[in-house]
Amino acid sequence: MRTRGNYNDEASDEALLSGVAVGDDRAVLAFVRRYQRRLFGLALGIVGDPGMAEDVAQEAFIRILRHAAVYDARRGSVATWTLTITRNLAIDAVRVRRPIPTAPEDRVFLTLVSDERSPDDAAVLSDSVTQARAALDALPIDQRRAIVLAVMYGRTVAEVASLEAIPLGTAKSRIRLGLAKLREAAAVAEAP
Amino acid sequence: MSRDESMKCEALGDDLIEFALGTLSGRSRSLVLDHLETCAHCDAELEALAGIADTMLWLAPEAEPSLGFETRLIERYRSSDTRRLSTRRRRAGVFALAAVLVAVLGIGVDAIVTSHAGTTSPSATTRPLTGRLMSDGNVVGQVSISSGSPSWMIMDVDTGAISGVVWCQVTLANGRIETVGKFTLAHGYGSWIAPVKDSGSHVRSARIVNSNGTVLAEATFAA
Repeated sequence: MRTRGNYNDEASDEALLSGVAVGDDRAVLAFVRRYQRRLFGLALGIVGDPGMAEDVAQEAFIRILRHAAVYDARRGSVATWTLTITRNLAIDAVRVRRPIPTAPEDRVFLTLVSDERSPDDAAVLSDSVTQARAALDALPIDQRRAIVLAVMYGRTVAEVASLEAIPLGTAKSRIRLGLAKLREAAAVAEAP
Repeated sequence: MSRDESMKCEALGDDLIEFALGTLSGRSRSLVLDHLETCAHCDAELEALAGIADTMLWLAPEAEPSLGFETRLIERYRSSDTRRLSTRRRRAGVFALAAVLVAVLGIGVDAIVTSHAGTTSPSATTRPLTGRLMSDGNVVGQVSISSGSPSWMIMDVDTGAISGVVWCQVTLANGRIETVGKFTLAHGYGSWIAPVKDSGSHVRSARIVNSNGTVLAEATFAA
């Protein structure tokens, strides 16, 4: 790898990825340092095992770094791209290990569906994420659980129905209503 | 939107939501994809739903990986990058040679066709079809098919992790699916050239599938 640029905390994600694409050592390091806690945190939340989560996060980084040149900004932000790759790899890893997924009872699930908040939460989360969190909190608990199981853990509607011991139609309507409310909240937040 | 189109959107129902969440598979997924190609309304709906799902991923709390995570990752990346570069150099040579071959074959065949047909536009017949191989929204390779008959296909794949034998199939304008042949991916990479039985101008899409018939990546060509 070569070293060309000098990247600091102000460098945009796109600038870092461009550096990665041309084989710049410093861009690779800066990108990894910027995202490793977030990618590992997401992987850990889904797979539940630190060793397995590190494997998932490493594989996600390798894929992201190797495909930096084909990243297309029109398809979403760098952050969304990296998180989606990590989520999909983590879900695949869980399914390979457990063909029939069990109910997640880890701290991420419990944190996301809980009404209690840590005092540090507000300081850690950015504005847009705070808004998404507030919108999720505003959902009825049954819709919140269904949304988190489907979005975060990649559970199908049928799996959500099985995990929650509810009819398929109920699972569908909980997810549909929950997403509609989240969408409505996002639209209100974006309105001038 | 017409009444018929509206009914189709309603029939799609919750499948669009599952598609946006990435949990829809099989025939239902294909039906949604087909519908999205012609329905701007559902396409916009999908974008909005997917945006909500993407934002939710940010809510997972951060966590500190073990000591040495960064070092192990960088070493692994450097090692794979070195192997990748050497593979790419070899592959680039093969690809360049194949491209020349396709150009020669394509133009040669077209020249014969043109000389007999008389009215056929050379620029239209000599232009190869090119497309990007897509997998889960990511570009994982490229496909080029020469014009003329037989046509030649060059496929250049970088899937990232998949290794082993894969089959290449093309979908023709009449909807028929033909298996062109098989080739091997090593460490996610593969470069391949093969003749296409029908004229390349009849090909609408090309894809690679695994032994189970699962589509790993697909490229679509404009009609």
